[in-house]
Amino acid sequence: MLELSDIRAGYADVQILNGVDLALRPATITTVIGPNGAGKSTLFRAIFGLIRVRSGSIRFGAEEITNEKPARLLARGIAYVPQGRNVVARLSVRHNLELGAVTLADQSLVAPRIEAVMDRFPALRQHQARKAGDLSGGQQKLLEIARALLLDPKLLLIDEPSIGLSPNLVRDVFKVLQGLRDAGVTVLMVEQNTKAALAISDDGLVLELGRARMHAPAAQLLADPAVGRLFLGAAIEG
Amino acid sequence: MAQFLQVLLSGLATGSIYALAAVGFSLVWQAAQAVNFAQGEFVMLPAFLVLIGEHWLHWPLWAALLFGFALSILLLGLAFKRLIVQPFGPDGGLPLVIATMALSILLKEAVKTFYGAEAEPFPSLLPNGTFHVGGAVVSVRDVLNLLAALAVVLLLTLFLDRTKTGRQMQAAAQNPGVAEILGVDVARMTLYAFLLNAALAAVASFLITPVYLAKFSNGESLGIVAFIAAIIGGFNRIRGALVGGLLIGVLDNLTATYVTLSYRAALPLVLLIAVILWRPQGLLGDEEARIV
Ligand SMILES: Nc1ncnc2c1ncn2[C@@H]1O[C@H](COP(=O)(O)OP(=O)(O)OP(=O)(O)O)[C@@H](O)[C@H]1O
Ligand SMILES: [Mg+2]
Repeated sequence: MLELSDIRAGYADVQILNGVDLALRPATITTVIGPNGAGKSTLFRAIFGLIRVRSGSIRFGAEEITNEKPARLLARGIAYVPQGRNVVARLSVRHNLELGAVTLADQSLVAPRIEAVMDRFPALRQHQARKAGDLSGGQQKLLEIARALLLDPKLLLIDEPSIGLSPNLVRDVFKVLQGLRDAGVTVLMVEQNTKAALAISDDGLVLELGRARMHAPAAQLLADPAVGRLFLGAAIEG
Repeated sequence: MAQFLQVLLSGLATGSIYALAAVGFSLVWQAAQAVNFAQGEFVMLPAFLVLIGEHWLHWPLWAALLFGFALSILLLGLAFKRLIVQPFGPDGGLPLVIATMALSILLKEAVKTFYGAEAEPFPSLLPNGTFHVGGAVVSVRDVLNLLAALAVVLLLTLFLDRTKTGRQMQAAAQNPGVAEILGVDVARMTLYAFLLNAALAAVASFLITPVYLAKFSNGESLGIVAFIAAIIGGFNRIRGALVGGLLIGVLDNLTATYVTLSYRAALPLVLLIAVILWRPQGLLGDEEARIV
């Protein structure tokens, strides 16, 4: 599905990713965990062509996609929901959704797909004429996710979706991700809310100092005492 | 009353030219965070390009106008972006401000040196007569200037709000990082803003020059007025720039007629200070959208 080998990337003269290897299994959720500043967001930016990969290669299916631009990656079926707020605040909810489909080759599909995502997220239908910046933080995050789904992606990169969301909304978002996985979408997620995220994930990746320390089934990471101590807050029983 | 109406209308007519320049100024600011201190000269130059077509190349007026418009888009849109703004990177800052000031001097001096320092008549595209409304003598040209400028700004806002490309331009200007991850061609949208600014400047030039004649120094006060109109209106609001331009035009004419001619040049500055004191986000701006 997505395969990284020995990825090195960073900013100006600091290298943040020091040779990351990773292979995702199709139709799974993989959660990346690691301390602040480990390079989790940087990894996503490198995959999505926002910062240059200095060496190594990224393959998507059979294709080499290293250093391709976002527009190209979107066309291939990779979508990205970054950390933080990412709506165009002064455009309406509906127009934000439309923006998610600018790279869609067949523009006649846009309207029905917007209908479909609004069916999935009724709050967006209700607020479709409002400015995106006037929505609550949680609704904005749903809008971002909905917008990413407009291209019907095969791979979704989603960076800390739960930040600033109420526990109920976090559960909703996780349910959406599980639904996508069940429909065949591969999800790569970064989450601070590690226990809950690993609980819905198939695999987990521990990223530390720009390297993949562990890549294992999520259940195994949840049960690992060292991982528990370092990344899951309190120690895990057993 | 009749005189007031007359003054108001010719103020609106001048103000609509300020508005065109201010709207373009605000577009370029939003798209590239570039404050263009050559904006006045951008309105001065297109008229001379038309005169070159007419007098040097001996083309008929329509061909000269087309030539002037196309060359304006090329020089003041494409070349301005590629050669002046782009080399300073995404956040041009003070060096870019200085570069646009230098460009303003360069354009002025180039016209003076190569075309001439004398004021040149410029063919009027609009009929010249007057008509009477309730005792007031109204210039047909003023009314048509105003309507033409308003129509252009209306078309522009319709384009920005109602078309997919227009909304991509808004997204690219408001949040280029988000636009990029959605696959919007941000560089192209930025270029469109520069091209639209050049087109607005050319239209303003063709409307205003028949009134004031073509002169190399025509842009001197206009650039500052456009800048102030854009700030008064809320800097990153198209409609704000429109309102700011019209307001300055009207107040300018009213003070000149009813108060005194001598403080006329200071008026936009007074207005600017008043707005900064009482409504720092601009007349139509809002707190959240304020960047400067
Ligand atoms: N644009 C940037 N320019 C320079 N350095 C950056 C930039 N963005 C991030 N960094 C640095 O790169 C390192 C990794 O940052 P990154 O955002 O990838 O971490 P992260 O694992 O996502 O952390 P967090 O959990 O806080 O989101 C940090 O030391 C950070 O300071
Ligand atoms: Mg991060």
